[in-house]
Amino acid sequence: MNLKILKFTLNGEPIEITVSPDDMLVDVLRDKLELTGTKKGCGKGECGACTVIINGEAVNSCLVPAMKTMGANVETIEGIGSPEKFHPVQEAFMDLGAIQCGFCTPGMIMSAKALLDKTTSPTSKEIKRSLSGNICRCTGYVKIEEAVQAAAEKMREKQ
Amino acid sequence: MKEYKVIGQSVRRLDAVEKATGTAGFTSDMKLPGMLYGKVLRSPHPHARIVGIDTSEAEKLPGVKAVATYKNTPRELFNTSATMTFTVPPMLPVLDQYIFDNVVRYVGDEVAAVAATSEKIAEAALGLIKVEYELLPAVYDPKEALTPGAPVIHESEKKNIPGEIIQIPYGDVDKGFTESDIIIEKEFKLPVQKQAQMETQAAVAQVGLDGKITVWSTTQTPHPTKMILSKVFSIPESKIRVLNPPYIGGGFGVRIGCSAKAEPIAVALSMLAKKPVKVVYSRKEDFIASDTRHGGYVSVKLGAKKDGAFHAMYLKATLNGGAYCSFSVETPGVLGCMGLAVYRVPNQLYYGHSVYTNTTPAGAMRGFGNPQAMYAIESVVDMMAEKLGMDPLKLRLKNIMQVGDPWVLPYRCGSTGLAECIEKGAKSIGWENRGKLNKPGARKLRGIGMGVGTHVSNAWPFCGDYDNAYITVQQDGSVHLASGVPDMGTGTSTSLPQLVAEVVGVGLDQVSMTFADTASTPFDIGSHASRTLYAAGTAVVEAARDVRKQVLEYAADLFKVAPERLVLQDGVISAASQDAGAVGDNCSGAPVCKIGGVEKKSITLKELAYDAHLRNKQFIGVGRIVPDNAPPWHAHFAEVEVDTELCQVRVLKVAAVHDVGKAIHPVICEGQIEGGVLQGIGYALSEEIKYDEKGRQLENSFHKYMLLTADDVPEIEAMLVESNDPTGPFGAKGVGECGLVPTAPAIVNAIYDATGIRFYEIPVTEEKIFKALKEHVK
Amino acid sequence: MLQDYLFPETISEAVSFLQNNEGQARIIAGGTDLLLDIPEGKVKTNCLVDINRISELKKITMEDGVIYIGAAVTHNQVAGSELIQEKAAALACAASCVGSHQVRNSATVAGNVCNAQPAADTAVALVALGATVEIATPDGTQYALVEKTYAGVGKSTIDSTCQLVTRVSFPAARKNQGTAFVRLHQRNALALPMLNVAVMVELAGGRFKWARICMAPVGPGPMRALSAEQALKDAEITPEVIEKASRAVLEHANPRNSALRGSKEYRTSVLPVLVRRALEQAVANAGGTCN
Repeated sequence: MNLKILKFTLNGEPIEITVSPDDMLVDVLRDKLELTGTKKGCGKGECGACTVIINGEAVNSCLVPAMKTMGANVETIEGIGSPEKFHPVQEAFMDLGAIQCGFCTPGMIMSAKALLDKTTSPTSKEIKRSLSGNICRCTGYVKIEEAVQAAAEKMREKQ
Repeated sequence: MKEYKVIGQSVRRLDAVEKATGTAGFTSDMKLPGMLYGKVLRSPHPHARIVGIDTSEAEKLPGVKAVATYKNTPRELFNTSATMTFTVPPMLPVLDQYIFDNVVRYVGDEVAAVAATSEKIAEAALGLIKVEYELLPAVYDPKEALTPGAPVIHESEKKNIPGEIIQIPYGDVDKGFTESDIIIEKEFKLPVQKQAQMETQAAVAQVGLDGKITVWSTTQTPHPTKMILSKVFSIPESKIRVLNPPYIGGGFGVRIGCSAKAEPIAVALSMLAKKPVKVVYSRKEDFIASDTRHGGYVSVKLGAKKDGAFHAMYLKATLNGGAYCSFSVETPGVLGCMGLAVYRVPNQLYYGHSVYTNTTPAGAMRGFGNPQAMYAIESVVDMMAEKLGMDPLKLRLKNIMQVGDPWVLPYRCGSTGLAECIEKGAKSIGWENRGKLNKPGARKLRGIGMGVGTHVSNAWPFCGDYDNAYITVQQDGSVHLASGVPDMGTGTSTSLPQLVAEVVGVGLDQVSMTFADTASTPFDIGSHASRTLYAAGTAVVEAARDVRKQVLEYAADLFKVAPERLVLQDGVISAASQDAGAVGDNCSGAPVCKIGGVEKKSITLKELAYDAHLRNKQFIGVGRIVPDNAPPWHAHFAEVEVDTELCQVRVLKVAAVHDVGKAIHPVICEGQIEGGVLQGIGYALSEEIKYDEKGRQLENSFHKYMLLTADDVPEIEAMLVESNDPTGPFGAKGVGECGLVPTAPAIVNAIYDATGIRFYEIPVTEEKIFKALKEHVK
Repeated sequence: MLQDYLFPETISEAVSFLQNNEGQARIIAGGTDLLLDIPEGKVKTNCLVDINRISELKKITMEDGVIYIGAAVTHNQVAGSELIQEKAAALACAASCVGSHQVRNSATVAGNVCNAQPAADTAVALVALGATVEIATPDGTQYALVEKTYAGVGKSTIDSTCQLVTRVSFPAARKNQGTAFVRLHQRNALALPMLNVAVMVELAGGRFKWARICMAPVGPGPMRALSAEQALKDAEITPEVIEKASRAVLEHANPRNSALRGSKEYRTSVLPVLVRRALEQAVANAGGTCN
């Protein structure tokens, strides 16, 4: 196996790690870096549970060769907020009932964050489209959309 | 009405922080020192005998630590579902599965498994196992499987019917039909729906050298799963610990019992390899080799008097049970009971059973037979209304069950808010506009429809149901609840602590809960049957009352008053002062308690618990209950638009009104309903696993299985009605499964309202509308 | 088994990386199809040549009325581009329908063409727009009409083990031209099309000057409805004309029975409806937006 040195920025920290060219980012995050907040729901880009943000864009980390992130800025659920300072999307998800089993939640929050990083005045349609690659089987998405709206409003207030 | 402090409040869920930050523990995230990865070889054939299996090449692959087949694993018949642990005699559980067998009965059936140092190596090793199959004839449709000469799927059941045929007679159905003025009889065909929970089936097994086994898994029923593993591996239950870690990525019934075969396979591999083994199903495995909802056929014959009073009903179900029994006996049972329990019909008969076929086993899925029943019944009720020339809403109001009405169930109909549900839903959808929504010649037609139903609040009388909980007051006065029930996303780990806080009289921030762990919690049959808050909650309330009683008795000694005079609220104990002159009262009129030499008018639970601790005592409350049962009720109203050119249905709105008894956490209730509604829309319009001529599942991925995405959600208005059932904790009833029970009939009835076409088969896909419209034009 | 992952910084470097690996290497842009095909053994390669560092491939530009989309431009970049929305609405709409938001953030339009799936949404739109691909090869730059790059189902004339699509180009819609894309699917995301149709029309004085109609999946690749196009040539813009042309598309459509995405009969029946709606849209809002 021809191993490679991969360097990228992960949640604001520089990372240097040895990977194989066929390692997928999701597996490097979960198995090598032990960041299991990023979930694996299908491994085929069909459910969005593994969504991370690369250079500002939400992508399925199960379809990204780890090597593709060379030099990139990668954000995962572990990097966007904590009990000391939650991200507004996390806050809204917690307070508005947008979380049930929690398995889609990290990916869903990352998709929502990527959207709100681009606009804090999303339309309902924009929210729905931005989250349409994140399958949630519990909530019916109703409270998730409400939470994204609420987070957007909070972010607008801060601006 | 009594003012509550904690219940009825939509507090932030206690699991929210962990889940919102990605730190919540799931089975698929687990990693143990030395852990191996298990992968399963599955049958490519729907029915075959394994005449040769050679694992030698696989065993030689570097990194492979164990290969399991029927030759080196226990030959103990079992049932992956929890039915084998709580079926009550004279009924007997159907045991028809081995971990691995030398006959495979559906595409995806387990043939062998490998444990290796990485998933990739395990996967590669599967490709090195040589299997020689002798193909056997296969059958996929339940009616075909009942015909003489059909392939026999289990030698023990020559007629392909697993377990018993369920017959529920009530009144005299023949006489009832003779006396009826109008009779409608129709058969409906039902699809195979998939739970499609977000976390696939998974287990991590660790077999200790001392023979003790620990299994972390996605099961909805840790205690029953422990019992199953004990039977399969002939190990005492006391030596097996099953737990969730502590969360599960959804369930919807798919793991009541084992998580498909993840637990037994992980244990078997761990025994062979003497290392911890993790088995996580791929999404495809989850689709093809883990229980589905029962498809099949339901027919309804309904007789009514001219005035609209229902007089007789014959309900019949022939369900597709798939290759193994799982819950194929209980599901037709629930289907029949729920179907007969909605309306007052003096003469009824139900006849139903499942049928073995060479398809993925059907087991429990949210609603458990009830959605199948209500799609058929509520369609026929609409047809009856039309025949009678009555408003279908009024026809339902005329016939729905009332409190105290006699019915087929062995418990009382103790509460119903169904009429209120109907009224609220009708208002929300604009029922008065029904039939007035379309201009002549329009190509897109709108319509409104409704459906109603009931459900259970626990598993009795379909199987045993009892529950236990214990509550300990910690030495600092904080309160700990131990309950065996899991939290698969339904909010158990928040709502049960809410009950504790309310009953004991402390803030919710003082309560924590251990759950879903057989080693540290008392027995509980798991999270299913919409039972958790009702049944586990009843045990929790009893334990909380018990612990409160102990606390107050202890405090009474200190205050020198009767315990009844003491109040425990917000974690503070004090005595009511109006009862001046009682023993121990001081001159100001309120009793005082002496603690640490200081006299106080009130004392915190924290002070009290520590005082007790110093005097060698802990308050331990125990709740041990056998629950009653209570009917939740629900009415759904749907508005749809049918594009008659493209043959597509779009749901514009669903108003879903649910009598939940009492909403302990209203937002959680709404969330259950909204999620249920979306699954119900999928059931009505798009979700289905079909089979090709070789027995292969056509829909075996999220990409092919058409559940709805965020971009497909119509307006959903979830509303709650509180009828306060006398048997539930604070009046609460079940809600978990109810969200999708009446959705499909509401939509199908709305499509009829829009187009004049009735669909006797769901999902109502483009293809079916196309064919129906073509017929309709002729 | 993948052995290497390379980052060329120029087009010629990319081509030479491919050459050095003698057919064992393959271009990766978004990778959302490729990375499903590799584990399943559908594609065999031991080296991926990632073109995302080649800056000139990441641009959408317009020169002399021709729009150029670089090979590393994603679906979402195309869908969100004001230039594309204004001058090639059909393509913007098609790009916004593919997969999911996450897939569209990775997957490229050029990749959609190279992957050669019969109903590739953006390819269908590109054919209607009369688009051309520019291909860097060891023997120099080559050009091909998008519709000529299909060599069968899932087979492209572009060989990603030795060639690199550098950009896709097509004339921007002018004032009297309109484009539209319509798609029939079972849900609004994560679904392949049951059918998709893209059209481009040029109008003059109440008449169609010409029309290009492309539809899928009704053949091995995006199919042109040549007789319908012929019927519209210089025809008056009336509902009857549009209806007639819409029905005429069936001459060039041969949808197959799909247990997942509709029978031949159903798709044959609704295809003209989609074509009619696409034509009406293209006529109504020349250069307007979809949805």
